[in-house]
Amino acid sequence: MDILVVHLFNALLYASVLFLIAGGLSLIYGVMRIVNLAHGNLFAIGAFATASAVGQWFAGSTSGWLFLLLPVGAILAALIGAALEPTLLRPLYKRPEEYQLLVTFGLLMILEDVMRFVWGPYPISASVLFEKLGSMHVGEFIYPRYNLVVIAVGGLAALFLWAFIYRTKFGVVLRATSQDMRRASALGINVNLVYVEAFTIGCFMAGLAGAVVVPSQSAVLGMGVDALILAFIVVVIGGLGSLEGALVGALIVGVIREIGITVFPEIELAVLYLIAAGVLFIRPAGLFGRTA
Amino acid sequence: MSSRPTRRDFLSQLGVTTAVAVGGAATGMGVSGIAHAQEKPKGTVPSTPYKIGHMTFFTGAGAVLGEPMYKGNVLAADEINAHGGLLGKRKIEILKADEAAGTDANTKEMRRMKLSEKIDLFMGITSSGNTPALGPVAEELKLLTIFVDGCTDFLFDKAVPNPHYIFRITNIQSADGATCAVGVAQAWPTIKTYAHIHPDYSYGRNCYDHFSVVTKKLLPNAKSVSEAWPKLFATDFTPHITKTIAAKPDLLVTSCWGGDYVALYKQALQHGLFGKMKVATTLGFGSAPQSVGKDHPEGVLSGVHSNYHFTYPAGDRWPLNKTFVEKYKAKWNEYPNFQAEGAYTATYVLKTAIEKANKLTGGWPDDEAIIGQIEGMMYPGPGGYVYFRPDNHQGYKDAITGFSKNVAEYPFPILDPNRIITIPIRNITAPPGWPKGEPTSTYTWIDKTWPQMKA
Repeated sequence: MDILVVHLFNALLYASVLFLIAGGLSLIYGVMRIVNLAHGNLFAIGAFATASAVGQWFAGSTSGWLFLLLPVGAILAALIGAALEPTLLRPLYKRPEEYQLLVTFGLLMILEDVMRFVWGPYPISASVLFEKLGSMHVGEFIYPRYNLVVIAVGGLAALFLWAFIYRTKFGVVLRATSQDMRRASALGINVNLVYVEAFTIGCFMAGLAGAVVVPSQSAVLGMGVDALILAFIVVVIGGLGSLEGALVGALIVGVIREIGITVFPEIELAVLYLIAAGVLFIRPAGLFGRTA
Repeated sequence: MSSRPTRRDFLSQLGVTTAVAVGGAATGMGVSGIAHAQEKPKGTVPSTPYKIGHMTFFTGAGAVLGEPMYKGNVLAADEINAHGGLLGKRKIEILKADEAAGTDANTKEMRRMKLSEKIDLFMGITSSGNTPALGPVAEELKLLTIFVDGCTDFLFDKAVPNPHYIFRITNIQSADGATCAVGVAQAWPTIKTYAHIHPDYSYGRNCYDHFSVVTKKLLPNAKSVSEAWPKLFATDFTPHITKTIAAKPDLLVTSCWGGDYVALYKQALQHGLFGKMKVATTLGFGSAPQSVGKDHPEGVLSGVHSNYHFTYPAGDRWPLNKTFVEKYKAKWNEYPNFQAEGAYTATYVLKTAIEKANKLTGGWPDDEAIIGQIEGMMYPGPGGYVYFRPDNHQGYKDAITGFSKNVAEYPFPILDPNRIITIPIRNITAPPGWPKGEPTSTYTWIDKTWPQMKA
């Protein structure tokens, strides 16, 4: 019984992080119809920023106040997002999609090098936060309490986003813009502002994901590309542009991965792709996707 | 079979030795590292730069191995250049290329470096996935090459079975799994069950195979009870740890390295894994030494790619190591790993081969003469002697592993100086002439020729 609880925690842990990354990617696509290939690197920047704030600026400190530094990565990623959208992406909305892919792919590579330049080639960790909370007993198993924090952050983010999009005026504006940008604009909505805000929120979520995983996993070069691929699997399953899809997709991936590792260790790598392929086969637009 | 040996007898037949610390204080024994003074070269030597194309991981998670490799190469080149260069005339110039570009792009870059940049030597490579692709291209281009790592047995077993232009300096991959298993059999002969966590690519598979075959011989009663194959460069090991703990093994064997290993041990700590089982690694301490923290538990069998750890040989017993570590620390403000030692030694192997060839032929020796000198060369590097077998161009040096320990001198754990395990390399690798086998020649050699121990 206790092992089932541990497996459930593990699945939720993975799903929480995936939801934050894929949710941001999906939100940006839903509103702006941009597939941001650099999204994974904003996740990585979130991880590096929090890791350097906790692990380098305050190296050696074990104060509980360090938890206040956790959002540093999310804030930095959001600031970068707020700067990128008007400068790099806005000029391209009227052009064919290939341009956006090329620009965001170029950005992916630039950010990868920027991270290496700023933080160097070696992994940085912020494990003091992970260790600070210690572990608890789940039956005969020992489980890190910090993982429950990550699960809570993912859950709260989902709740907050839902309330934000379906229960606030800004949410209405956001949905209106996403459904018909021209008409929204004609109704007097400042579309440019909506775009900046949506892009910033998306990047904030990616950065937050990086910030919450780094205490237990450390920041390493290349983590952004891996995260991007996983986020794509989630949105392929859930449907690009749908937040519900990102949530359900992340939960499916979290649970299946846990089962895969436990029961079919030999095909751990393949299992997620097989599911994505299966979903594409049955519902090409994903479980919650809108067929164009 | 009454002739079955006991484990202890067989381990001593293998020459497995546990070193005991010798006082490391420098007491003015008058040894001062490699003498760089060289005789005047014969004939006229051009003064054009000698170009080395160095390809390794500068980006991505592999940079924890790639950066030290490059730094070892640069340190050696700077030292040689300070004395005028190769044969006192030709300064070494190093061109960088990023191995993270992917296997396909790497082969193109190798061609470009040879054809456009006119490099004289290709050096580097970290990944086992890249040497089998680049080896045949180097042979085709007639490009003198010293791979530092990319240690798969497959390279010289299958991809380039009769190499002419390519060499490789750090130990062959199968030595890692075998060294780890020998270390386990010596330290913890009573284990009955073990679990695996390996990154799912050629290195992880190779470690799994060779750990298994050696353990089958040395600990016939021990059996594997769990396997997990995380993706290479994964950072979330929570499910793999849960699975391992649930299987209740006596021992965990892992070949995770770099950032993967750091994430694995930190998460394992919070799951209480180290209190529940012994842990053995093949490459846990192989990355830049400072990447592992003092929170790492002591007494873990901590592999260094069966190659080199900067604390061994210690003190004044092997001054080449002492001076190398001092110079590396002075230049890069960090301690070298096995890749740094490999690239540093490779550069000096090249220098030595060129000087020997010059004595024979005069002037600047052609590649054939240099190759002839590297084949069969035994060179004393910081980590010990490395021998280049003429038949397969693989560098062999005695395998080493040890147990993690925290000491006051370093801000990270090192190998316990009192419990270093060394194994003569010829006793754990297939000998010259042994037929090529599946999955490796060393595997079939161990399987067919090692006796099974008494249970």
